[in-house]
Amino acid sequence: MQRMDNEELINGYFEGSLSEEQKREFDHLFETNPDFKTDFEFQEELKRALVKSERKQLKQILSNTNVPQEKEKSQVIHLRPWLVAASLVLLVGISSWLIFFNRPDIDSQQLYASNFAPYENVVHPIERGEQLEDLKTRAFIAYENESYQQAIELFKTLNDKNNDKYIIFYEAISLMQLNKHREATPLLESYIEDNGELKDRAIWYLALTYLKLNKIEECKEQLNLLAHREGFKTKAAKNLLAELN
Amino acid sequence: MKDQHIISQMKQRDRNALKEVYKGYKIEFFKFASRYTSDTDLLEDIFQDAIIVLYENALTGKLDELKSSLKTYLFSTGKFMIFKKFRDTKEIATDETYIFDQSEIVVINDVYEDQGPNEYQQKIIENFKKLGDKCREILELFYLKGLKLEEIMSVQGYENKNVVKSQKSRCLKSLKELTHAKNG
Repeated sequence: MQRMDNEELINGYFEGSLSEEQKREFDHLFETNPDFKTDFEFQEELKRALVKSERKQLKQILSNTNVPQEKEKSQVIHLRPWLVAASLVLLVGISSWLIFFNRPDIDSQQLYASNFAPYENVVHPIERGEQLEDLKTRAFIAYENESYQQAIELFKTLNDKNNDKYIIFYEAISLMQLNKHREATPLLESYIEDNGELKDRAIWYLALTYLKLNKIEECKEQLNLLAHREGFKTKAAKNLLAELN
Repeated sequence: MKDQHIISQMKQRDRNALKEVYKGYKIEFFKFASRYTSDTDLLEDIFQDAIIVLYENALTGKLDELKSSLKTYLFSTGKFMIFKKFRDTKEIATDETYIFDQSEIVVINDVYEDQGPNEYQQKIIENFKKLGDKCREILELFYLKGLKLEEIMSVQGYENKNVVKSQKSRCLKSLKELTHAKNG
């Protein structure tokens, strides 16, 4: 058999392809030639380093993987400030592959906070001082002034007297503002089911509600609805999906 | 989830395959393993380690002709680790138990005992990340995936084995220089 140089012997060791005779030669060099020993040991350290660092990375990925239907453990992980900044940068839309390899931990609360903004009043424009202070106006003034508790009560009263569908939509947003996401969910669902005019908006807020409640799978389901049509928040939905996947 | 599909995804280093296994078997594994211990942190750790063993053995082709289901393999790995933890040798054989060969046991023990990269290894990794794409690829294929130089040649479309050999040698040299320059 052809004689191997030292480098080939080391390669052969890692490939597991050395013959008995070559193994003896390897052992002999290892004992007598310090350069050979150093070369080999560096490569062995490299191998260990690559293996261990990958394991560490994989365990991080697994620790941040949500298991559906398992509710006893909260999956919320608190991000360090620089990770928050990083996640905002990621929202701009690096490819999902890159996100996958460098991705910070999913923090649903943080993602929620960076995506949620109350929907503006588009159904009942208010010109202050001129209009009658009817119930609807009072409700939307409260909403626009961020007096959400008051707004909710007015929307509720209004809803009893008036069957405009959008009332429950704004009531739901007000509930979200007050951190009552569980109560907001059925309102948004029923508004969507009724095919309200602001349906796509409602889907977005329902997705955010699920996010806040840490129901990631349900959240993704709603986001997918938005991501597959061109319109309201399509891009935001895609970006958020990329974050969650 | 089809076992062979997951194994081939793992061979491509597709991390989604690991997530799928994690999501697919976690609840069942915890139920299965709860008869040995009720320490859920320990179980979480062992379950993740078992998935990594599955992954590493898939990566190096050891599961190409897997004789059991993936689930049996995974659960047996977990059980092996639990017994190791409690030094409990009774009740080794049950229907869930897969018979590992020596090289598989080496991987299980290695994953089980892994405390993470030491300082020097971390330094190597930091410098490894500074290498060019081609270098990182060739070194990962050789040292991490365990491909032979000849296999790298055909996978990556190099002209001949010597080109791969000298490319790898150059990459290794740069990495060594980077790592040791910082020492001085």
